[in-house]
Amino acid sequence: MYQYNADDTAFLVERVDQFEKQLKRYLAGDLDALKFRSLRLRNGLYMELHAHMLRVAIPYGILNTEQLRALADVADKYDRGFGHFTTRQNIQYNWIELPEIANLLRDLSAVGLHAIQTSGKAMRNITADPFSGLTEDEVEDARPYCELVRRWFNIHPEFSWLPSKFKMAINGAKLDETALQIHDLGLKIVKNDAGELGFASYVGGGLGAAPMVGPEIHPFVPVEDILSYLESVLRIYNLKGRRDNLKRLRIKFLVREHGAAEFAKMVDEDWQHGKDDPELKLNMEELAKLKQDFALPVKPLDLGDFKDTLDINYSIWKTNNVRAHKIAGYSVVNISLTQLGTAPGDATSGQMRMIADLADKYSNSELRTTKRQNLVFPYVRKDQVHALWQDLDKSDLASPHHGTLAHVVACPGADYCDLAKAVSIPIAQQVQQRFDDMDKLYDIGPININISGCENSCGHHHIADIGLLGLKKNEQEFYQITLAGETLQETIIGRKLGRSIAGAEVVDAIEDIVNIYLENREEGENFVDAFKRIGIAPFKEKVYG
Amino acid sequence: MVEDSEIISVVNEQGKVIELLSVNEWVANVDSGVKSGKGVVVTPADDVGLLQESLHKIPLIALDFVSFDDGRGYSQATLIRKRWSYSGEIRGINAHLDQLQFMLRSGVNTYDLQEQYQGSNEHDYTHGFSICYQVAANNADMKEKF
Repeated sequence: MYQYNADDTAFLVERVDQFEKQLKRYLAGDLDALKFRSLRLRNGLYMELHAHMLRVAIPYGILNTEQLRALADVADKYDRGFGHFTTRQNIQYNWIELPEIANLLRDLSAVGLHAIQTSGKAMRNITADPFSGLTEDEVEDARPYCELVRRWFNIHPEFSWLPSKFKMAINGAKLDETALQIHDLGLKIVKNDAGELGFASYVGGGLGAAPMVGPEIHPFVPVEDILSYLESVLRIYNLKGRRDNLKRLRIKFLVREHGAAEFAKMVDEDWQHGKDDPELKLNMEELAKLKQDFALPVKPLDLGDFKDTLDINYSIWKTNNVRAHKIAGYSVVNISLTQLGTAPGDATSGQMRMIADLADKYSNSELRTTKRQNLVFPYVRKDQVHALWQDLDKSDLASPHHGTLAHVVACPGADYCDLAKAVSIPIAQQVQQRFDDMDKLYDIGPININISGCENSCGHHHIADIGLLGLKKNEQEFYQITLAGETLQETIIGRKLGRSIAGAEVVDAIEDIVNIYLENREEGENFVDAFKRIGIAPFKEKVYG
Repeated sequence: MVEDSEIISVVNEQGKVIELLSVNEWVANVDSGVKSGKGVVVTPADDVGLLQESLHKIPLIALDFVSFDDGRGYSQATLIRKRWSYSGEIRGINAHLDQLQFMLRSGVNTYDLQEQYQGSNEHDYTHGFSICYQVAANNADMKEKF
């Protein structure tokens, strides 16, 4: 597995040293709150309702077990013994004391982790396919490209004070696990007719109050030109993005204002000056080296006539949580962190250490994180999946509801977040309680429910089969429901069902929606396809009728 | 909306007072500007493309970094220094301590800090990072990795 060298670690330490000086100046009254806000956000630090929240990056979603143990240690030493895995492959701590922050970040730098640009008006952690390198039909393993782009946006001298945040995704697979068209910039790895690799670029996607699907801005940027291309997109945004209207800061508004074709022309004009600059060509030697560093650590296995254990509970779990691996003899295993009765994405330090031990034992000491707040074991031998399941079961981590209705994705919501208008976690728990029968869940099949506590949409409600957006009306919590959003095959923003629904009634409404689906679906038809066929009317009628 | 900078002159590297014209004033009066040795002050909203044609006649360009969160000056500096190879003095005015290294790497070579930062240890912020991960107008003294 790829690891940072001494230079990278030195850089992380320099960053902590600088932030510590800034924090001291702020605490001494020598740095005003507004400037400190801008600086602390770029170091992942939010000042929240009850305490301070720190968002730590898990760059493109990859962790080794040493790093996971360090995250567990941070949870114990500086927090209240747990962390929240987010929908954007980060982890958040909610109870951080300001004077401790530099020590915390130094602890993390020792294992190559950091909170650089996890917030603020800067380029953010790249979202990547958690199954990169593992899927049979992918065009290319995205991880080496993610690493090169990650390096490039670190403390970029020109693009660190943007009009707003800037989120990127890179996908090399056929199916889009990254939801790249809801990012400010999504790169899809493609091959041209000559069989050469490049990137199709999509700019101006986003969720929030004005959700947009990012249009294609360039069909094919050759691999070696990607950095000069990114510089041009960022330069146009930095110079021409709105800075005067707080509701129009994101690049999606710039793209919408000019139209995709005109925006593409603006980028292209700038790019003509940069694309032939030899300094801006991607370092192909470094790319080749990274490809070696990211090479899969396992070889095909001949398991002979291996027959897996037959057990009903194991089989249900396996159907929902285990997927095919491109290397013979191996499986990819999803571990759901949204256990019944706990907050989605939350893991205790004990669970983190236990999962680290299991990843050492079963998965080459490597894990991935996903936008559905799961952890993934990327290299599990097929003849050890059952043993892993038994070990997970002992720790209550084998609930088989990954991909089912009970696997609710949720932001921390008003229980923890200053911005939230409504709670998320209690609603997720009510959904889990309502649909707690595994046979029923199995019958319903893969439906996803996502909950965001406010329009910032951290719970990605727009792209779920059933999305809930928390609102506040007359001090009461309400939820706006959206239906049939998706990203895997194509990107569709969910349709609004109608007027928002009071918190006490929202789980009934979800049950109504599920029932309409069950009554109407054709054999093997998923939620989005059924919705496309029957339309929104029957759902409306049932919920409001 | 074009906001005029409040700075009307600076003392250049050689200790000489240089009066500053706005971008529009300069473009309208290039010959007399050159003759009287005037420099140009650029605000974040200015289009530096207007300066391209007469760029090498300008003795000093002052970029105004007055607003902490407005990062347009870094792109302006990069265009002027790196893309158009301007070799004269680029002065960062109303500069902020915490942004010095960003400014210098983008091509600014001299700066005037805002008053609030008087007495601070500038070296911490001009040389806070010894490693960099991207091409820039000026990576002097830095170890490059990309």
